[in-house]
Amino acid sequence: MATAGAAGSRTYSFKVVLLGEGCVGKTSLVLRYCENKFNDKHITTLQASFLTKKLNITGKRVNLAIWDTAGQERFHALGPIYYRDSNGAILVYDITDEDSFQKVKNWVKELRKMLGNEICLCIVGNKIDLDKDRNVSVEEAESYSESVGAKHYHTSAKLNKGIEELFLDLCKRMMETAQAEERAKGNGASQSASSRRGVQIVDDEPQATPAGGCCSSG
Amino acid sequence: MSQRRGIHVDQSELLCKKGCGFYGNGAWQGLCSKCWREENQREKQRQIQEDQALAERLQREEEEAYASRHQRAQSQPAVTPFNKFEERKTKEKSSRVNTVTKFFTPSTKTPPKKDAGPFDTQSTPSPSSSAGRQSSLDRDRATQEFIDFLKAVKSGREIFKQCRAFTESMAYKRDMGADELSECVQDFYQNLSDRLHNQFKGSSELVERVMDEVEKYMMTRLYTEVFCPETTDDEKKDLAIQKRIRDLHWVTIEMLCVPVDEEIPEVSDSVVKAITDIIEMDSKQVPKDKLGCITRCSKHIFNGIRVSKKEAASADDFLPTLIYIVLKANPPRLQSNIQYITRFCNPSRLMTGEDGYYFTNLCCAVAFIEKLDGQSLNMSSEEFELYMSGQASPNGPQPAASSSSSGSAALSQAHNSLDVLTGLDERQERVIEKARQLESDLIDWTDEVEQKVQSALESFPLETQQSTTSAASETASAALSAIDSENVENELLPPPLQPQVFAG
Ligand SMILES: Nc1nc2c(ncn2[C@@H]2O[C@H](COP(=O)(O)OP(=O)(O)O)[C@@H](O)[C@H]2O)c(=O)[nH]1
Ligand SMILES: [Mg+2]
Ligand SMILES: [Zn+2]
Repeated sequence: MATAGAAGSRTYSFKVVLLGEGCVGKTSLVLRYCENKFNDKHITTLQASFLTKKLNITGKRVNLAIWDTAGQERFHALGPIYYRDSNGAILVYDITDEDSFQKVKNWVKELRKMLGNEICLCIVGNKIDLDKDRNVSVEEAESYSESVGAKHYHTSAKLNKGIEELFLDLCKRMMETAQAEERAKGNGASQSASSRRGVQIVDDEPQATPAGGCCSSG
Repeated sequence: MSQRRGIHVDQSELLCKKGCGFYGNGAWQGLCSKCWREENQREKQRQIQEDQALAERLQREEEEAYASRHQRAQSQPAVTPFNKFEERKTKEKSSRVNTVTKFFTPSTKTPPKKDAGPFDTQSTPSPSSSAGRQSSLDRDRATQEFIDFLKAVKSGREIFKQCRAFTESMAYKRDMGADELSECVQDFYQNLSDRLHNQFKGSSELVERVMDEVEKYMMTRLYTEVFCPETTDDEKKDLAIQKRIRDLHWVTIEMLCVPVDEEIPEVSDSVVKAITDIIEMDSKQVPKDKLGCITRCSKHIFNGIRVSKKEAASADDFLPTLIYIVLKANPPRLQSNIQYITRFCNPSRLMTGEDGYYFTNLCCAVAFIEKLDGQSLNMSSEEFELYMSGQASPNGPQPAASSSSSGSAALSQAHNSLDVLTGLDERQERVIEKARQLESDLIDWTDEVEQKVQSALESFPLETQQSTTSAASETASAALSAIDSENVENELLPPPLQPQVFAG
């Protein structure tokens, strides 16, 4: 839920969900971003499932809440309960694991179907430090992302590469979306019940025709 | 831990606390449905009357305060309108009004923490049970605290007026469906927080704090009305999930892949605390307080995971453990509580806050438990069915045959008798449920008859009803009933002897 005031003095609150198969590096990414830690055996954090970050972007305050989700296959059906009302989703795959990229494609389809275009999607190829073992081609991943209106990022939680950019970029996009929404509903008018709850069901997938080659295996 | 799953029921605990002989229910504060309904009805009625009286008095006092402020405005501009009430208090003899005026006295004079403090003056003895009085006290305290809090807030009086008016208006919407009630409350939250932002120019932190207090005040007053309302099937869902969890008693920590090691004392301690916290949720009235229980439960879970795994818990660890805790705790009225929080909690807390994250995980845990099958526990569906039907039970971490043969025989016998007991328990459960159904049908029937009689009485007023106007007819009616009672006694006697004529 984004709460942004007419005066512009209000704080934006954004909810971002982390989705992706187990072991692709979701937890590592968020721990690196919020606490600048990687594989830290000296545990000072109680938990790494819900983390927050306060940002100041062009003079506007942003509270980011990052929701880790259980990645095990048996919990897949619970996805909609997690991503309900979220402003952004970060879909992570492991560049050495082709299968994890297929899982991302499934998530994209589901999210677009359930939440429409209101949610900002990021597709993240993690573990770029292992480029020698890459199994998902850069071109394929980037063109697929573009075809579904998502932005693609290359990251390494291990080397702390690309992570700041990922979250900063996402926040800017979510702010734009929130501002556009505000303009649309007019100044001062209160949100309708449906937009307050944030869930929108779209019958048909508003999906662009995939660019050539990106669906070779799907 | 295992004794939690055992069957320990003291017969006297099952019966209605009023001693009417029917079975009671924890969800109805230990009363049977009939006594509970009576209690609740009386409670509701009283609350409406109290709210009405409170509203009127507050209105009057507000007007007086406003007038007095204008009088003093020239001479003593610094005097707060609240002091006026303190003065008046000494003149007023009515203790009921005292209670209300004390709401507005500065907190330095009435320490709000002292429970007995401002409420001792309440002279009208409560006609209902102590539980009823307790909730009335809770409501008074909530009002007092709300007012105390608002004293320090700009436009606090304005905010209080709005909240009070809205809460009262809800009393007349009791026939509305739960979703509509929720819409009303959510719209009110939304409008109020928008106004706090735009009109009163409050900072985000202040608005959040005010909204928390608003929720606390309103929901304490509305709790009995809108928690598990009769217009929904929340109660049915509560019973369903309760039974479902009971049926899943055989699920082990290994099947769920829960990363906690209960052999470690600190971990098993955390598990017990987590279970206690999630059970406690049902006892809170304010959505935020209920969320607080879920959050505390989650923190204990995190601790258990951290100590077991020696790393910070991720969602992959947290969710299965929460599922395990819910299965072990079988929290009372789980669905009602989830629905209530969803409907009446401040939306910002639920959607982006930390509490909201744990609450969402609880929703996930319940959804998982409802849909759970063999596949989700890494077993064949045949095996799953065997366990569900009680035909087989997993023997826990050590197989029974590991020790001597006589030991394993004894163990299997114990298992058999346990299964028999479980079967018996289930049958008893079904009988009780049927009895409850019958009972509530009977109550409905009585209500219906009562209603019919009432409407008949209204359309054909009896003469004796009008008789109360004159003393003479009153004695006449008394005499009439005396004769009636004689007649009743006569019926018990053998019929009077009739003179018989014998020819001859
Ligand atoms: N080489 C490398 N390993 C990573 C990176 N990110 C995560 N890992 C490792 O991948 C494994 C799974 O990471 P985790 O964050 O638990 O994944 P999650 O299950 O998606 O939350 C761990 O052993 C991490 O150390 C990365 O950028 N590079
Ligand atoms: Mg993880
Ligand atoms: Zn009873």
